[in-house]
Formats: sequence, C-alpha cells, structure tokens
Amino acid sequence: MFSKTAKPALRSAAWRISLWATLAFACGTLLVFIFLHRFVADDIQRRSDAWLVGEIEVLGDVAEQTPMNALHDRVVEEVAELASKEVPNRDASANASNDSVFFLQTGSNGSLTLWVGAGNGVANLKAIQASRILPDHPTHLRVQGFTIPFRVASARINDGSYIYLGLSERDELRVLRSLGLRFILLWFLLVLLGFGIVFFTTRRMLSHVREIAEAASRIGHSDLHARVPTTKHNDEVSHLALTLNHMLDRIESSMHQLHTITDSLAHDLRSPLTAIRGKLEMSLSAAMQVEQADPIVSSIEELDRLTDFLNKSLDVAEAKADALRLNRVALDLDELLRIMIDLYEPSMSERGLQPRLHSGGPLVIEADAALIHRMIANLFDNELKHLPAACTVNLRLRVEDAAALLILEDDGPGFDAEVLPHLFERRVKGKDSNGHGLGLAFVDAVARAHGGSVAAGNRDGGGARIELSFPLAST
Amino acid sequence: MRLLLVEDEIDIQSFLRRSLEEAGYEVEAAADGKTAERLAVDGEFDILIVDLGLPDQDGFSLILKLRQLGVRAPVLILSARRSVDDRVRGLEQGGDDYLTKPFALAELLARLRNLLKRNSPASSEATRLRVLDLELDLLRREATRAGQVLQLTPQEFVLLEYLCRNAGRVVTRSMILDKVWGMRIQPDTNVVDVHIYRLRGKVDGPGQQPLIRTLRGVGYVLKDR
Repeated sequence: MFSKTAKPALRSAAWRISLWATLAFACGTLLVFIFLHRFVADDIQRRSDAWLVGEIEVLGDVAEQTPMNALHDRVVEEVAELASKEVPNRDASANASNDSVFFLQTGSNGSLTLWVGAGNGVANLKAIQASRILPDHPTHLRVQGFTIPFRVASARINDGSYIYLGLSERDELRVLRSLGLRFILLWFLLVLLGFGIVFFTTRRMLSHVREIAEAASRIGHSDLHARVPTTKHNDEVSHLALTLNHMLDRIESSMHQLHTITDSLAHDLRSPLTAIRGKLEMSLSAAMQVEQADPIVSSIEELDRLTDFLNKSLDVAEAKADALRLNRVALDLDELLRIMIDLYEPSMSERGLQPRLHSGGPLVIEADAALIHRMIANLFDNELKHLPAACTVNLRLRVEDAAALLILEDDGPGFDAEVLPHLFERRVKGKDSNGHGLGLAFVDAVARAHGGSVAAGNRDGGGARIELSFPLAST
Repeated sequence: MRLLLVEDEIDIQSFLRRSLEEAGYEVEAAADGKTAERLAVDGEFDILIVDLGLPDQDGFSLILKLRQLGVRAPVLILSARRSVDDRVRGLEQGGDDYLTKPFALAELLARLRNLLKRNSPASSEATRLRVLDLELDLLRREATRAGQVLQLTPQEFVLLEYLCRNAGRVVTRSMILDKVWGMRIQPDTNVVDVHIYRLRGKVDGPGQQPLIRTLRGVGYVLKDR
C-alpha cells in the first residue's frame, strides 16, 4: 500500500490540511511563547528595579548621614562599589572595568560631584539631564558611548543634591536573549512535531478515503457485487464507506429488479412467439402451393424481425440504465474484424462495395464476445444496406490514449442532416431506412456498457464516419 | 430415436411433440422436473430437450441431477433467457447444445441431428471426406469434384467441410455462422447466402448434378444421394 501512496503524496490533500493546521498551531504556540517571554522580561525588570530602589535608598541614607567632609565622598564611593558587586544576574564581566553599574551624584546646581563607574560620567550626566528621572521610579536610559541602555533610579538628598544609581541592562538582555533562543528552538521543534503528527494522521485518514475511491471506481458499470472496504472505527470515513455500500446495495437491488422485469418481459413474450412460430412452421411443412406458403413464410420472417427488435430493445434499455450484463473475455478486435470482413466481403463486393482494414496487428480488449459480434455485424449490415455501389468502407484499428480505437469510414452519402443530432436515440432512422431504428442505439449501448464510447458524423469530404473507443484489456 | 421433451408451456410442448414425431422421433414429454427425472431414469433415451424455465426447478439442476443419475444422452437446452450465461457455455463444451426461444423448427431438428451424430461412435476423425463425387482432403485442405480440383478460399473450404460433415442433413444459417465463423449473430442481410452462392458456383459446375440445395426459409443441405 505504501509504495502506491508514496507517489501521489504531494498531490494529496494531506499536504494542504497539515500545512493549514501547522500554520494555525505555529501561530498559537508563537503567541504563547511571546507572552511567556514578555512575562519573564517583566519579572526580571521588576526584580532589578526592586534591587535598584533598595540600593538607592541605602546610598541615599549613607550620603545623608555621612558628614560632609573629605570622607563623605569616599564612604559613598565605597558603598557604591560594594553595591555594584552584588548586582543580580551578574555576568562574569567581559570587561575588566566595572561597566555594569554606575553611581552618580549631582550638586544642587546640577554639576557632577561624585562619580563611580566606567569612564568619567559626563555622558551619563548629560543623558540624565536630558531625560526626566523621577525619584523612586527606575527609568530606562540610553547613554551615548554605551551600546546597552541602563536602568536608572534616583533619590533626592536633603541638601538638595541628587544621587543616581544606574544598572546596565546587559545581563537582563542576555538572559532574555538566551531564553528567546531556546523558545524559538523549542517552538520550531514543536511545530515540526505538530506538522508530522497532523500530516501522518490526515494521510492515514485520507488513505482510507483513497482506498474507498479506488474500490468504488473498480465497481464498474455492470459489476455491482463488489463493495468498498470498511474500517472498524466509527468515524466519518467509515460512515462514508458504509453510505457508499448502502447506496450500492440499493443500486444493485434496483438493477436486479430491472433485470427481473426485462427477463420476465423477454420470457413472457418469447414463449408465445415460440408457439406461434412453431405452429406457422408446422402448417408450412405440409405439402402446399407456393402461393399458400408465401404469406406464412413472410409471417415467420416478420416474427423473426420482431424477436430481433425485442432483443435489441431490451439490450438498449438495459444499457441505457447501465445494467447490461457482460460476460467479459479477452477479445482480439483485429482478428474479429478480419473474420467479419471475411464474412461480409462477398455480400459487399456483390454490391460493388469494398471493405478495407487498416490495422497494426492484434489488439485485445476485455469484452462480451457475443455483444461485440452483434455490434460489429450491425455496423456492417448498416453499410451494406445504405451504401450505394462503388463505395469503399475503411476500417481503421489502432491504439490511442490507452484505448482501442475503431474508426469506420465510408465515401457514401453520409447521414441525413436531420437525423445527425439524434443518431444514437432509439427509433431514429433515415428516410429510406427499413430497419427498426435501433442499430446505432444498440452500438452505442454496447460501447457504453464496456466503458467505451461511440461518435458518429459525416466526414468533411462526404461519407459517414463512426468512431468507437474501448478501454484496452488490463495486462 | 427416443426423445425426452421437458417443457412446461403446454402450447410449445404440443407443437414440438407433433413436429418431432413427424420427424421420426419417439417422444415422451414432461412438464416439470420431477416427472422428467422419473421418466429419464426409467426409460432409455437417445436425446433430451430441456427447457431452462421449469416450474419446480431450474433446468440446470435437473440436467446436473440427470447426469448424476447416469443419464448419458446429449441434451439440447431451450432458453427464453436473453443472456446466455456461463453455465450454458459449460454445458455446450460438455457436448450439449442450446437454442434460444423463439427458434426455427428446422434449426431445432438440425441441431438434434447434429447432437446425435456427435454422440455416435462413427464420427471418428477422418482425414478424407467423400460425398458422392465430391472429395475433401482435410490434411492438404484440398477439394475435388469428379477428380477436378476446386479453387476454394480457406474459408470456403471450411464451409464446404461443414456441409460435407452434415451431408444429407439440413444446416441453418445460424448454425453455419456459429460453426464456420464462430459467431452467434443474426445479420439482417443475406451474408451467408452470398457465401453459399459463391461456393455453389465453384462446386456445382455446368452440367454437373447440383449438390448444394437451398431449403427456403430453413437453410441448406448438401445432397448425399
């Protein structure tokens, strides 16, 4: 089964279904991850903000309580250094100097009075002055010369000066980046896994549907005994199979009814016909004059025509309902046509007609031999009855598009224009025809019953053209 | 020749009985399977005619039962069914024959004779056939009339061979189509007749006694005396 399903996998609806499902799944999980990421980022910020606020309070206290002497700056600087060493999430510094934390104090006039950190602090002060930093509210701050922004907390000291404690967001960003990377990797794996699961389940599901479709297509026009495979599950697919099988049951039963009707019709008509024919024949067998015998003989001939009409009508009726019963055997059309031509050639040449076969050799179809024989005899009879003398009948047999193609062409007068659109309908015949108008309807019926087709029309150069197509025998 | 006719339609049974008796058969008739079984086992029959649509059982099961009971006589099956199903074909291969209703009496009689002849031990595979001054060499596919070689096409030879094998007996058009061309068709044109005319033109030369006779509405016969 797998080798069979592997080929059309790309054309399978499983692709489309799983692509859409995966898209929805990917969007959903992406949203979840973005939300998680945001949550973690907020949490980290809150923690570092809490630390900043705590530290700035301590530093403020120290700055206030330390007497304003030479020692003041030193003490504050020491405390700030210490504070910078207990930074949360601290990376083993990539840089020798401490660039993850700065401490800055301004005088009441806004000048830089104390600086702890990397560089001289001028750029930091400029950035601080450019943005309004509220006390006790850590703020995002971009400083020229630093690629990574700072988080800055401020406090006002009693003497009117401000102190600022800045924490680089480098570590926070690093944590978040590595988290994001993990999330993306995880998301990718999840999407891949989801796609795989959806694809394989839908494909398994759809392979049941395909099996059903294949089985249903195998159930030909007349073979209605087969059923599509059912599964044990109680899902939509098995419902589909069951529904199809119920439908086939109903079709088979109506087909059976049709057969019963046509059979009993045939039987009920045939028995009296047999009796009538027999009695007529018996009255004929007694020694009698030709004048007396003639009406009886012609009655018998009429009866035979009636029987033929009955048979063909029922065949056409059954074929129109796709209910013609076929007994398929391997049949070589080439051989059959040669035999038919052999059979009809004397009659044809007697009327000045010439049959010609153009065939590339044996061409086997699976068909009901008796029906095909009758069908081809029908075509030959038609030519024989309707063609004027000195015409040629060309029969071409070849394979085209995996079908056996039989083309019959003549150079006679062709079909009457008014019957042309209704050639395959029952009771349609040309003005001069003395048939019962079932010939081509029967040909059409037989072709259709075999899964083939027939087309008829007039050739451009004049003359009739009938084209029959039959599926080739499966080897 | 003793013949058992199994047919439930009284109308058909009576005319068949009459015409079969006229043709020289000693006819016993049964209208259902049970009677047929009893008669077939009690009496020795040379040939049977069995209609497939019997009131009490299927004609096939009757034939199979009769075969199990040791009835060896050939069976001609009559069927009003339209499609000839595989079982009939199977029986046909077993040496029996079938006819669909309605049929020509001559056809029935011709087929009965054919069945009887097929069953008689005399029909051994000869390499030469001789009918009066007509002689067929089956190995060299050559026919001569009064010592003169006839220029026949292969198909004409097969047709003449069939007529010779049934010399003195009527063969119908559908029998010829069936046995010579292998087709069960009923053309509404005179295709078989034209073949016979052509053959007659070659076989019955001027001044010779005509061998191939036409029986109007029935078929043809190759005279053997």
